[in-house]
Amino acid sequence: MRILVLIRQVLDAQETVRVANNKVDLDGRKLVMDTMDEYGVEQALRLRENGADAEIVVVAVGDARTQEALRAALAMGADRAIHVETDAALDVIALSSVMAQIARAEQADLILCGGQQADWDSQALGAATAERLAWPQVTWTRALALHGATLTGKHDADDGVESFNVTLPAVLSTQQGLNEPRYPTLPNIMKAKKKEIRKDMLEAYSVASRVTLQGVAVQSKERLKRILDGKDAPAAAALLVQSLRQEARVIQ
Amino acid sequence: MSTTVATFTAKRASGGSFLIEDLRPEDVFTPEDLSEEQQQIAQTTSAFAEERILPALDQIEAKDFDVSRRLMREAGELGLLSVDVPEEYGGLELDKVTSALVADKISVSGSFSVTFSAHVGIGTLPLIWYGTPLQKEKYLAKLSSGEWIASYALSESSAGSDAMNIRARATLSPDGMHYILNGEKMWISNAGMASLFTVFAKIDGEHFTAFLIEAGTPGLTVGPEEHKLGIRGSSTCPIILTDCKVPVENLLGEAGKGHQIAFNILNVGRYKICASAVGGARNSLRGGIRYARERVAFGKPITSFGLVQEKIAESAAGIYAAEALVYRTVGAIDAALSALDKSAPDYSRQVQKSIEEFVVECSILKFWGSEMLERVVDHMLQLHGGYGYVEEYPAERAYRDSRINKIFEGTNEINRLITTSWMIKRAMQGRLALLPAIKKVMDEVMAGPGARVALDGPLAEERALLANAKKLGLFCAGAASQKFGTDLAEQQEVMGMLADMLAEVLVLESVLLRTEKMNGRKPLAIKLAKYYAARSFRIVETSAERMLGAIAEGDMLRTQMTIFRRLTKREPANTVALGRDISIAMVDAGRYTLGSRTA
Repeated sequence: MRILVLIRQVLDAQETVRVANNKVDLDGRKLVMDTMDEYGVEQALRLRENGADAEIVVVAVGDARTQEALRAALAMGADRAIHVETDAALDVIALSSVMAQIARAEQADLILCGGQQADWDSQALGAATAERLAWPQVTWTRALALHGATLTGKHDADDGVESFNVTLPAVLSTQQGLNEPRYPTLPNIMKAKKKEIRKDMLEAYSVASRVTLQGVAVQSKERLKRILDGKDAPAAAALLVQSLRQEARVIQ
Repeated sequence: MSTTVATFTAKRASGGSFLIEDLRPEDVFTPEDLSEEQQQIAQTTSAFAEERILPALDQIEAKDFDVSRRLMREAGELGLLSVDVPEEYGGLELDKVTSALVADKISVSGSFSVTFSAHVGIGTLPLIWYGTPLQKEKYLAKLSSGEWIASYALSESSAGSDAMNIRARATLSPDGMHYILNGEKMWISNAGMASLFTVFAKIDGEHFTAFLIEAGTPGLTVGPEEHKLGIRGSSTCPIILTDCKVPVENLLGEAGKGHQIAFNILNVGRYKICASAVGGARNSLRGGIRYARERVAFGKPITSFGLVQEKIAESAAGIYAAEALVYRTVGAIDAALSALDKSAPDYSRQVQKSIEEFVVECSILKFWGSEMLERVVDHMLQLHGGYGYVEEYPAERAYRDSRINKIFEGTNEINRLITTSWMIKRAMQGRLALLPAIKKVMDEVMAGPGARVALDGPLAEERALLANAKKLGLFCAGAASQKFGTDLAEQQEVMGMLADMLAEVLVLESVLLRTEKMNGRKPLAIKLAKYYAARSFRIVETSAERMLGAIAEGDMLRTQMTIFRRLTKREPANTVALGRDISIAMVDAGRYTLGSRTA
C-alpha cells in the first residue's frame, strides 16, 4: 500500500511573528514541520513498523525552504518526497486539489494530514481532499491500527471519543495525543540524503486560489497599565468585575 | 553513507598563518556554509537539548546520575555519541564541523554538556585513535550507544597543567599478565558514573602510559563527589588506585608514549570548549532577553534602556564572533583532514598530526571562547538585577557553570603561553614565515607613514583595523623578541599580551571574512561585525601599549610609541548607535538572531 502524508512548513511556535511588506516575514526565522503533520509522519512509520507493507510518501506545496520540512520527514523515515514548488500562497481548497491529483497519480491508499494548521488554523485540508477524491474521512484520530484493508482507531468527538473502522482508501486527520513523534536520528539524516525529492511546478496542477490574502497584521496585546488602588476594597472589586465584563469581556 | 558531510574545501591555513596571510571570504568555512544534513543534525541536537535535557535540569543538578545516564543513552540512540566513531565500529565518522556543531547545540546545561563532552571527547577519542582492533571491538559500541560512560583520568593533586609530572605508577606483574597500578587521580570528570576509565600512569615511575580500566576492577576506587562552584550536575571525583590489576592487553597505545595521547586529545577538547561556549552563550542570551522583555522598571520594559541594550549587543556580538571563529577553524581542520588517506595504516596518527598543525588556533579558541562565555553570562545575570543572584532563575547557574571553562583543558594562562610560544617555535623551525613578515613591517613602519590603502565596501574601516592589528601584532612580536630573545618565554605577562593580540587578529579576521561571505544578505551581520571590530581593536591597542611600556624606555619607547600611534589611528565607530540597533533586533526575535534581509 502507499501512504501519503501531507505536510506543511510553519513558523516555529517559539518565534516572534513579524510583518514586513504586508506579509509575515519568515526570512531568518526558524521554520519547522507543522507539529500536527508530524503526528501523521510518525503514524505512517508506526503503521509500517507494525506490519503494514507500505511505501510512505510525503507531499508538500510551498517555497524552496519547504524542502527542509520534507528532508526532516525523510530523516524520520519516510521513503520519498514530492515538493510542489511555488512562492504563491494557496488557499486550502486549491491546495486540496493539488493533493487529490497527487493521490490519484500515486494511487495512494491512505492520506494522513494534520487536523489543524498551526499558523492559519484551518481544519479544511483533510476534508476538502477527501471530498475531491470521494473518500471517507475521519478527523482528530487519537489511535490507529491497520488490519488488512481496514483501519481501526479512535477519534475525538465533541463530548467524547468514538471508535471506528474505516475501509481504505481514506483520509485521516491527526492530532496531538496520537503518538510521540521521533527525532530524526543522525544515521537516518545521513541516509535521507540519498532519498528522492521530486520537484514539481505548481503550474502542472492548474489550480488557482480563489481566496487571496490582502494583508496581515499582528494582534498586539496592549497593556492598559491601569491600577485599581484597593483603598476602597468593595468599590475596587466592583470596578474590576465591571472592567472584566464590559471592557475585557472575559466574564459574562 | 557518506563519510564527509561538508563538500567545502578550505584553503590550507593553519598554525598561526593568519597573522601573515590574508584570506578571501571563499577561503574560509562559515556557519552559513553548513550543509543541509549538518543543519538537520543541529536541529535534532537542539530538539534533544530543549525537549529532553532542559526539562530534566533540576534532577541533573541534584546529581541524579540515573537521569544523566538515561539522557546519555537517549543521545546514543540518536547517534549523537557516534559522530567521531569510525564506520567499521558502527559509528558515523562524520567531519569535525558536525562534531563541533553537536557540542554547540547540546550546550543548554553546563553540567550535562560536560558529561557529554568528557564522554565523546577525552573519554572516547583516545580509544578511537590508539585502541587496538580488539580494544575497539570490546568497548566502542558500548560507548557510542551510551550504555557505558567513559572517563579520562590524567590530573593529580600535584600534576594539573604540568601533567607529565604525575606520580601514579604501573609495574608489570611477575607473570607478565598484568600491570599493577598505584596512585591517586583528582578532579576526574564522569568518574562517578563511568564504566570505562582511561588512566595515565608511569611504568616503573618513568614511562608515561595510558591504560583502559573497567569500573569494578579490584583496586580501582572512586572517591566522593567534589562540592563544586558550578557544573554541579556533572560528576567529579578523585580516583584511588591500590594495587589495581590491569590486564596487559588494556594498555592503550604504546608504553612510554602516553604523552602523545594526552597532548593530542587536548587540541580537540580545546576547540570543542569554544563550540560549547557558543551554545551556552546563545542559551544564556535568550534567557536574559526573555526576562528583560517582561521586566518593567520606571514604567518601561528594561530592554528600552541603553545600558541594558549595551549588554545585549555586546553578548550578541561576542556570539557572532565566536561562531565565525569556531566554524572557520574547525572547517580548516576538516579541509586538512579530507586530504588524508583513510585506508592508510597510520591514518589516526596523520589525523592527530593534522590537528596538531592547529595548536595555536585551538588554544586561542579555548581561552577566547571561555572568556566570551564568561562576559555573556555576567551581562545576563546583571540585567536580572537581584533576580540574577538567586537560584530561581537560570542566570545564576549559568554564571557559576561557565567558570570551569577557564580552568579545564589547560588553564587560560597555559593556553595563552602555548599560543605565543608555538607561534614562535614554528617561526624558528621555519614553518611559519613570521620573521620575514616582522622584518617587512619593521621596515615599513620605520620608513614613516605610508599612503593609506583605499578600501571600499561596508566593512572598509574594519578591514583597515584588521590590517593594522596584524601589523601591530608583528611589530610587537618583533620588538619583544629583540628585547628578550630566547628569554621571552620567561616573560609570561608579555607572552600573554601577545596571545591576546594574536587571538583578536584571528577573531576579527574570522568575523570580517564571515560577514563578507554573506555579501550583504544580512544587514544586521554587518552591524555585529562593526561592533565586534571596535572591541577587538581596543584590546589589540591596549595590549600593544602595555607591551611597549614593558619592553622599551627612553628614546626607544618614544620611537615605538610614534609607530604605535600611527598604527592605532582611527575614527571611532558609533558603538552606541550600533549597539542599540543590534539589541532591538535581538529583543524583537527573543533570541540571538542575524535578522532578515530587511532588518
